[in-house]
Amino acid sequence: MLLKLQNLHKVYKSGTHALKGVSFEVREGEFLVVIGLSGSGKSTLLRCINRLLEPTSGTIEFMGQDITHVKGEELRHVHQQIAMVFQNFNLVKRRSVLTNVITGRLASLSTVDSVLERFSPEVYEEAFQALRTVGIEEKAKERADALSGGQQQRVAIARSLMQYFEKINNELGTTIICSLHFLSLVRRYATRVIALRQGGIIYQGDPKDINKEWFKTIYGEEAEEVEIR
Amino acid sequence: MKTTEAENIEPRELFMRGKEWQNRNNFVKAVLLDVFLVFYALILLQRVIYYKLILDLREVPFGWPQLGAVFIVSVVLGASWAFTRTSLATRLFKLHRDNNITKWNVEIFAWLLFDLTFIAGWVVTKISIVDLFSAEGIHGANRIFSAMFHPNMGIFDDALSAIIETIYLALIATLLSIPPTFLVSFFTARNLMRENKITFAIYYILRIVFNFVRSIEPLIWAIIFSVWVGIGPYAGMIALLVHSVASNAKLYSEAIEGIEEGPVEAMVATGANRIQVVWYAVVPQIVLPFLSFTIYRWDINVRMATVIGLVGGGGIGTMLMQYQGLARWNEVGLIVLMIAFVVWVMDYISARVREAIY
Repeated sequence: MLLKLQNLHKVYKSGTHALKGVSFEVREGEFLVVIGLSGSGKSTLLRCINRLLEPTSGTIEFMGQDITHVKGEELRHVHQQIAMVFQNFNLVKRRSVLTNVITGRLASLSTVDSVLERFSPEVYEEAFQALRTVGIEEKAKERADALSGGQQQRVAIARSLMQYFEKINNELGTTIICSLHFLSLVRRYATRVIALRQGGIIYQGDPKDINKEWFKTIYGEEAEEVEIR
Repeated sequence: MKTTEAENIEPRELFMRGKEWQNRNNFVKAVLLDVFLVFYALILLQRVIYYKLILDLREVPFGWPQLGAVFIVSVVLGASWAFTRTSLATRLFKLHRDNNITKWNVEIFAWLLFDLTFIAGWVVTKISIVDLFSAEGIHGANRIFSAMFHPNMGIFDDALSAIIETIYLALIATLLSIPPTFLVSFFTARNLMRENKITFAIYYILRIVFNFVRSIEPLIWAIIFSVWVGIGPYAGMIALLVHSVASNAKLYSEAIEGIEEGPVEAMVATGANRIQVVWYAVVPQIVLPFLSFTIYRWDINVRMATVIGLVGGGGIGTMLMQYQGLARWNEVGLIVLMIAFVVWVMDYISARVREAIY
């Protein structure tokens, strides 16, 4: 089992109880999609999994190791092994696309080298490879904020690919946990789906089994499904 | 979504409870403020209106028992006034009774306070129309102005080298202030230091130290350093340096506090260490504000350098003080013109450069 969550709770300082006892497991190579209304706890869940947030209670096991409350060097190691693509890109706007992509590899570079921006040819090669993968190699020298929204998200994906390259994925297959809103995309890509509502899991299983009734439970009575193809 | 501590309470009720508590808190503040305002008004009435204007005493008598008596009177008056909920302070905190009595009370008392303050200011400043328009005074002013409009070009070369000294002094102070300010500003930025207690303590102590240093004017630093390292441009430079570091550290760290947090989160998520996070996610966002602040600081330092020259900080200020002491107004005229020109040029250049950056 790659990832195992048990009875995970997250209470923010403001008192918001965002996750209320979430438990599930993720196998290697799965494409798990998390769905739910805004405010249902999707982002909190994802941030807890890669430990940008510390859960209030419960446990997270990642590759057999309990990472629920790890700190310092260990926490950085966890971050290094899980790549994250953000909803709003979070690029460093004033730097070039290439530099932004390379920042995905910072954890494996020495502090001095990274501050002096002394990168080895292999790092550049990997960065260009990542940009080629997302199809915007020709934008490498441009400033990140000169790109369109979609292109910026590609840069963010390329940045996460830099983490992916030398990682476990080659042996185990890429595992993805993703938050989506369009059910047609969920049906097309997900191998498994989890629906959150008010911080708890209300549906877990095959995306093809989500029928009209489940849809109403997840998104509320008034919601209607929109198809995109 | 519900809160943990009060699982069964409606959010609205929770909000109203908070409001009630806030009102109680505010009422205490209102009472204190009323007491203070009444005390202030009584003191001004007694010391300025009665002693100064009516009795026209040269020396106003001072005694603690008398002051205490006024204080007790104002405590009684102010508190009981606040409890009627028609006072100025209850109006300010919006805890007043909404009727005409409150309206009149507030209006009359507010005007009384303003008038008393204005009169006290007038008396303390010793404003005198007679002095401004006395024949003797105008004659003296005439002499100085006419001398200033005929600057003595004989000392132009001396004044030029003095003003160049001032400009370089300000430049060196600004340049030397950059590295320490840059380093220290990360430690005085709340968003980078709040995570654990030790760093937060460092942040807090540094803030207090810099607030203290900044609240001492460069003029006073110049006096201190002219005793320490001797009168001259060196003392002036150190004085400006100290003040620049303290002032810019605040501006720099505010720029750091204002950055977008997204890139920081993204860098943390890649597993980068603290220094890498700061270098890649924070620094690119603050380089331009830093540059802009620094150029503006040079501009400020040139003006400051002139002023601290008056107390022995070297440069054109020291020269100005010497000629003013000798009452050689033609020379003073030249120096004033040169200072005005340099300040104008610096102002223009720094504004243009800062515009070009953004």
